[in-house]
Amino acid sequence: MKKLLAALIVAVAAFAAIACDNESTDRITIDFWHMAPVGTAAYTPTKAIITAFNESQDTYFVKGTGFSFWDYWDKINIAISSRTAPDLGLSTLDDSVSRAEAGVLYNISDFLDADPDGLELDEFYDAALDFATYQNDLYALPFTATVRVLYYNLDMFEEVGLTVADVPTTWSELYDVAKQLDIVDGDGEIQRLGFDPSYGNATYHGWLWEAGLDFFDENLDPTLNTQAHIDVLQWMKDFNAEFTRNQLVAFGDANTLLGINPFAGERVAMMVETDGLYEIIQNANADFTFGVTTIPVPDDNGVRVNWGSGFSIELYDNGDNDTASKAGAWEFLKYMMSYDVQKEMSEVNGWIMAHKRAMSDLATETGDPILARLLVEVEYARDKVYVPYAPSWHGNDWQPYYNNFLSGEMTATEALAAARANYIQKQENYDATH
Amino acid sequence: MKRTITVRMMKKQENRAGYMFVFPWLFGLIVLGIFPILMSFYISFTNYDMISPMEWIGFENYRILFTNDSLFWKSLGNTVYHVAIAVPLSIFVGLALAFLLNNKVKGMSVYRTLFYLPNVVSVVAMTLLWMWLFQPNFGLVNAILDPLYDLFNIEPLGWYLDQDLSKITLILMGLWTSGGSMVIYLAQMQDIPTTLYESAEIDGAGWWAKTFHITLPLMTPSIYFNFIMGLIGGFQVFTMAYIMTNGGPSRSSYYYAYYLFDKMMADNAMGMASAMAWILLVIVLIVTVIALKLNKFVFYMGEDS
Amino acid sequence: MASATRYKSRKTTKTITHLILHVVLVLCSLVFVFPFLWMLFTALKTPAELLRGIQQFLPARPQWSNFITAVQAIPFFMYLKNSLIIVVLVVTGTVFSATTAAYAFAKLRWKGRDKWFIVMLATMMLPIQVILIPTYIMYAKIGWLGTRLPLIVPAFFGGGSAFYIFLLRQFFKGLPRELSESAVIDGANHWQIFVKIMLPLSKPAVVTVALFTFMGAWNDYFGPLIFLSNPEHWTLALGLRAFQTQYGGQYNLMMAASILIMLPTLIMFFFAQKTFIEGIKFTGIKG
Repeated sequence: MKKLLAALIVAVAAFAAIACDNESTDRITIDFWHMAPVGTAAYTPTKAIITAFNESQDTYFVKGTGFSFWDYWDKINIAISSRTAPDLGLSTLDDSVSRAEAGVLYNISDFLDADPDGLELDEFYDAALDFATYQNDLYALPFTATVRVLYYNLDMFEEVGLTVADVPTTWSELYDVAKQLDIVDGDGEIQRLGFDPSYGNATYHGWLWEAGLDFFDENLDPTLNTQAHIDVLQWMKDFNAEFTRNQLVAFGDANTLLGINPFAGERVAMMVETDGLYEIIQNANADFTFGVTTIPVPDDNGVRVNWGSGFSIELYDNGDNDTASKAGAWEFLKYMMSYDVQKEMSEVNGWIMAHKRAMSDLATETGDPILARLLVEVEYARDKVYVPYAPSWHGNDWQPYYNNFLSGEMTATEALAAARANYIQKQENYDATH
Repeated sequence: MKRTITVRMMKKQENRAGYMFVFPWLFGLIVLGIFPILMSFYISFTNYDMISPMEWIGFENYRILFTNDSLFWKSLGNTVYHVAIAVPLSIFVGLALAFLLNNKVKGMSVYRTLFYLPNVVSVVAMTLLWMWLFQPNFGLVNAILDPLYDLFNIEPLGWYLDQDLSKITLILMGLWTSGGSMVIYLAQMQDIPTTLYESAEIDGAGWWAKTFHITLPLMTPSIYFNFIMGLIGGFQVFTMAYIMTNGGPSRSSYYYAYYLFDKMMADNAMGMASAMAWILLVIVLIVTVIALKLNKFVFYMGEDS
Repeated sequence: MASATRYKSRKTTKTITHLILHVVLVLCSLVFVFPFLWMLFTALKTPAELLRGIQQFLPARPQWSNFITAVQAIPFFMYLKNSLIIVVLVVTGTVFSATTAAYAFAKLRWKGRDKWFIVMLATMMLPIQVILIPTYIMYAKIGWLGTRLPLIVPAFFGGGSAFYIFLLRQFFKGLPRELSESAVIDGANHWQIFVKIMLPLSKPAVVTVALFTFMGAWNDYFGPLIFLSNPEHWTLALGLRAFQTQYGGQYNLMMAASILIMLPTLIMFFFAQKTFIEGIKFTGIKG
């Protein structure tokens, strides 16, 4: 009994100790959440960027906290929903309008009206700015830009007598080149795949866009029911039709089992991926020659486009009328979007940043041809549309039908009809509750 | 006369003691627990999307789930299937492991620790193990079964890639973490008086007799515990499906809690997710209350039989 | 003579049984150990070897320095201290609130007991995700956000311990009623019975509960992620996740750090299961 009591007293004492360790500073504290936690390579430089701001003035003190990319979203979403969000944070650009609509973001146009020289908006991509615009006002700024390109392994090209000149630009060229690069061993096990339209970050909606089609019309009603939609889906599967489903699955699972990206692991010769793969290849010190290029387009009337996305940087309104930290957040936002900081952030995180001039100068200075090529493609990046009744229309809602089609459970027509019916049901249910 | 008063006083005292002992828990439930619970109940009648202000929409979420949502029934069906098979199977395997590890053999401490390992290793490592074992084309299990496939001239099983087998495969994979229930059985086995075995041995009882007449009956409290917890946990299963199959193929391993999670994370439909949670609570509560009737088959040494 | 042969044959049977047991145990251990081995070998690989994945299961030259790198990359000892603060308090709190409540449910007759028992079970039936945001909002309103209180205080009031209460109840119910009855006659009150009889006699169960609570609190990264904002309060489990970055991450360092985090739980398990030695309890009490 005495021991238990002693334990309780210790516990209470510990609470007391924990409860009152607050730091105090006479500056106004600005909270900023980012994705470079203690322990990552990006942590120290990120901290240096923040410290430089803190030393440049003596009104505000920015407190940066980094969370792992995988944890960041849970953390910030819960904070936003309970109105305890940081003053500034990163989020996803494509749904920033939904937060603007909910009233949790400060209107950036208001800041710009009061401080017109604060930001040079024409340094950023118009398409990205459009995504952050709600009722003609800007509610977020594009912070990074993600781009999707075709990676090709030049060593493998040379092995079969191909050169850079043979890098495909159309779907039919892609097919011809890919077939020369396939390797199958005696047991029928695929050792190397030239290309597969379902691999990496290649998506059905990405291919649809290239063919001038989409999942939804301008009213956000699902389309998907035309022959053209069926043809594109069928093309994705027919690309490697000479292999059985088992062969392809075994190859795909072996890739997963490897625990690495199949292009970085030299198991596929060409693959559609984001700029993140460049970062992975660099980090792993992979020793093969490769290049990046525009994703091949359909032979007739192909549209040069890739699925782009990116982080936004947002100022959170927690409804507490905290004008002091609001002003500080704006100052720090301007700093984060400035030419020098954008350049540094790119070097630190390996991200493509939203500042066009900062990025092109960086590419010139480093003489990095891959980065230069990635930047060209950013011009053709298009973000996916935010669909309130199906925010994950390209993911959870589409994947099961897509997989059923790939595995042969459903034909292209059946899969698309079933997916469409599902969107319609979701839309109906959403409308009934809103 | 005097005696009745004492008994009544003792009963009163015991009643008070009962409240005293349960107080910390009860206090926590009422002070810290009740607000989130009631709020989630309220949310189930709104269209809360986690950022916009919530609007009261009455029973609309419940109506939609019951009448216009095919995945609701599909996922519920998958979950019931899972519970029906996984609960008895994991009790059996947990018990078997406990029996195996309750022997007085050299190095038993090490074996027990090794058997418990899967409960603490990283999920990534477990996923790779499962794939390495169950991948239909190059997995170890199919390689071992290959002679049988040839013998009976059947197609190799597709395991997690076959919609008829995906749930069973996930259940088999889940058995790797039976170490948790094994620990509980092991702890309970220590409760069994050795004198019981000694007197049984004098009566000439063998291993079977001792197991079925002493060990198993005296282990019913923990078997019952794992049964009830298996039911409650089984209805909320989804991690394994999330990692291994993404709910597929053809939604065959799309469980109720997985759908609830998607409603919340993918659709931002917190109101709908809360409604699903409360429907689940009612279902599990009914099942559990029925299961609690089995308490009469549980043999507690401390109770009069 | 006859009895000697019987004794001898019994001994050989026993040896054979033990031999078979060992074979079975070793075979089973292999499958159970595999994921751990994979972690260990991955932790010892160079980045280039990681690229070759499972094709190269064994690292050519084990990089033991990965463990040091992992420890140095994060403020390991600060995180360790934070983990210990939380874990010690959570285990203390849970064992306290779970054993007392379990005693009430198992051994005492009080009004509404069976109804509250169902309520207790029901608290486990609501998927935790749907009460996360309300819980968070509640702690924000009390002003506990950014402190360790949301992670610790509930443990003292049975938060998340329904599982343990039920488990302990099952064990307490198995203890002979005569024991407590004779103690009552000797003038002991319920607290004395609880501390002097119930707890010591249920050592394996209480140890199990402490072990499970320890593992739960030690490995929990989600609670600290959501409720702690100051990195100086972060725990090992949360700090470790820094190695999981957007693009792949440093698998070798991640696994090295994972193993370091796992070790204490394994050591705890090893010692906890030592209390599971047959029949410690009723020797001396008639069956």
